[in-house]
Amino acid sequence: MFERFTDPARRVVVLAQESARERGDDTIRSEHLLLGVCRATDSRGAALLAAHGVTLREVEDDLRRSTVSDRDALASVGIDLDEVRERVEDAFGPGALESTRAAGRRRRRWGHRPVDRGAKKVLELALREAVHHGDRTIGTEHVLLGMLHTATGRAEPLLAARGVTLAGMRAALDHDAPGAASG
Amino acid sequence: MADATAVAAAATSRDPATGLAAVASLRTLLESLEELQVRNARDQGWSWQQIADGLSVSRQAVHKKYRRHLD
Repeated sequence: MFERFTDPARRVVVLAQESARERGDDTIRSEHLLLGVCRATDSRGAALLAAHGVTLREVEDDLRRSTVSDRDALASVGIDLDEVRERVEDAFGPGALESTRAAGRRRRRWGHRPVDRGAKKVLELALREAVHHGDRTIGTEHVLLGMLHTATGRAEPLLAARGVTLAGMRAALDHDAPGAASG
Repeated sequence: MADATAVAAAATSRDPATGLAAVASLRTLLESLEELQVRNARDQGWSWQQIADGLSVSRQAVHKKYRRHLD
């Protein structure tokens, strides 16, 4: 499937992997593809988003707001993670809590990250969008359209809240540059 | 969810995302603490049976889980 991806679209996938790694997420999901599109500056997908007021900064802010950190999750059941960490470090030394294998499993730094079902669907839908628009290659704009379909992950509701919808983006794409090379 | 009010709201909310995240974070914390304590016990010369008794699990369970990484 990737053989039909344009260079920028391939870069989006690589940047999505990097985003997942940097965020400590162990699968590649639709929100990582969205981060990838935003980070692929100069790409058509990024330009479409920017024209609707969505850049990397907005996406990162939205993700931060809707992500429950371990600290907040534990606080919700009355556990102060900072207090626990402090006591553990008193007994076992600095960084002890983060040094365990259990902590490492949650925060795999290296190694293979599988693409989750939603993100796979985004890439399949990107192909379908390209075909639908009569494009022979899959560009970043098609990846963007793919993630605007429902039930593909967090990117869709996040973008919908910022007024970016599938119908709107399809229209913008047709209006912008009908027949333009994808990228 | 940085401020205290938001956290307090989360504690009483029935939002599955918050509740499930709390359980997942607890599990990770539990596993980390268990690992640190088991390693510490081994360092102090405790037998697998003693550690198993302390954790209220079978000797086989704790041995299988940690032998490869601690001994």
